[in-house]
Amino acid sequence: MTELKVKVIKAGMFTLIQDLGRGGYQQFGIPVGGAMDRQSARLANQLVGNPENTPVLEITIMGPTLEFSSNCQIAITGADISPKLNQQEIPNFQTIDIAEKSILTFGRLRQGCRAYLAIGGDWQVHRFLGSCSLLSKQKEIFPKGSLLQKGDELCIQSSEKTPIQKVENPYQDRLLNPIIIRVLPAPEFDWFSRKAIASFFSQDFQISPDSNRMGYRLLGKNIEWNTSKELISSGIILGTVQVTAEGQPIILLADAQTTGGYPRLVNVISIDLDILAQTKPGDWIRFQLLT
Amino acid sequence: MNVIPYGDSALLLNFEQNIDEKINQEVIAWEKCFREFAEGIQFIIPAYCSLTVGFDTTQTSFEELKDWILHQESLISLKQENTASSIKYIPVCYEEIFALDKEEVQKQTNLSWESIIQLHTNRVYRVFMLGFLPGFPYLGKVPEKLYVHRKRIPSLQIPARSVGLAGFQTGIYPSEAPGGWQIIGRTPISIFNPAQENPFLLQAGEQIQFYVISKSKFEKMQKEICIDISKVHD
Repeated sequence: MTELKVKVIKAGMFTLIQDLGRGGYQQFGIPVGGAMDRQSARLANQLVGNPENTPVLEITIMGPTLEFSSNCQIAITGADISPKLNQQEIPNFQTIDIAEKSILTFGRLRQGCRAYLAIGGDWQVHRFLGSCSLLSKQKEIFPKGSLLQKGDELCIQSSEKTPIQKVENPYQDRLLNPIIIRVLPAPEFDWFSRKAIASFFSQDFQISPDSNRMGYRLLGKNIEWNTSKELISSGIILGTVQVTAEGQPIILLADAQTTGGYPRLVNVISIDLDILAQTKPGDWIRFQLLT
Repeated sequence: MNVIPYGDSALLLNFEQNIDEKINQEVIAWEKCFREFAEGIQFIIPAYCSLTVGFDTTQTSFEELKDWILHQESLISLKQENTASSIKYIPVCYEEIFALDKEEVQKQTNLSWESIIQLHTNRVYRVFMLGFLPGFPYLGKVPEKLYVHRKRIPSLQIPARSVGLAGFQTGIYPSEAPGGWQIIGRTPISIFNPAQENPFLLQAGEQIQFYVISKSKFEKMQKEICIDISKVHD
């Protein structure tokens, strides 16, 4: 075991230390948090021989520049942000050996939205209720260090090397516009007219620029409902699609609040949340109802 | 009560859709029942008149849990016996510097500030649920005379520990946040403190009562690290 330091030379657009979140505290209003694309986070950790809940970097659209103090292994999954190691292109979805003083950079976003960088070993991070995931809507960055900033240093007790592994990119064919997202009816499905439901499933929605880890707002024809009917605040889960009073659908995601007062039309199935996390503002999606 | 599937790994128990103490007691009784006796549960979100239950699909299923619920239903009334918790007392300074929407609340209620404070502190409130922000308690119901509308355009920054009114509800902002509640005062007590071993002062089903403190008392209490909320501090 050696002490690895990873120096943040550039932080990238929005780079977070994430794990699989802090589920089980929703009764206190604590969002689940955690990697948006959980499958990719798990996969990255597997490729470097880490337990699946080890922290990873969630890299959104524009990547950081990182310097590694000693030998280690990394793996990048999810979005393809043209990763380069010492200016040589490296592939996603495989274990990569890194020599000391190596520099990892990212370039143009070629596919997806969020890349996951795993580094083999035990990460020294601050946690709250068992997770290092950034608690949103707090005035200060909490837990400390969970949002990467220039000059930060990640400390990792690097583990023994694992044999190089390689896997297929699971999203290869699924990220063509419009991206199909499969859903189940949610509790207030019956509040919507046949016409509104038909409109919801027959159009392509564009992901609004006003989208983030709390929720994706969708641009399209409004989905009308009888707003004189009032929903008493009720629980929200990952992938709930609620419709605002103006008729805009919002897909609620990892950092969403735990309760809400808008009717819940449908729910994205668990496995498609990972694909959704790889869509970005401007992309088109279409919903498909599973029965 | 209805049991509805919610996504592929959760279910929703919907009770009579009303903001009502009795109904919320049922919600909390079911929450406790799930926590103690059900298997494969990953999270539970109690709300005013519903309970969202997430489960691990490798351990259980909607059908299995629905059967379990139907079986428990005949027993739940027995378990629901009086579990009334002791009252937690929360100091509030209602002075102008903290009562950011004093004018608006006076206008909407047509009451003097003294009567508003009196009405707000006179009642024991139930914590119906937590939501919106980490640790944000929805408390109620407030007396009819204190009914005020939410702001049409939410304030961008409501200071942490502000106490507000909205409809028949009152609440406390655990942290600074945008919000539409009408602010009538502030408490020196931190109701969500992630640095503490138990970060949450309140949970659904508990009872609280507000009491008035002066600005100087507010400042003094703010410096105290630990305030005993099982009693009123003069």
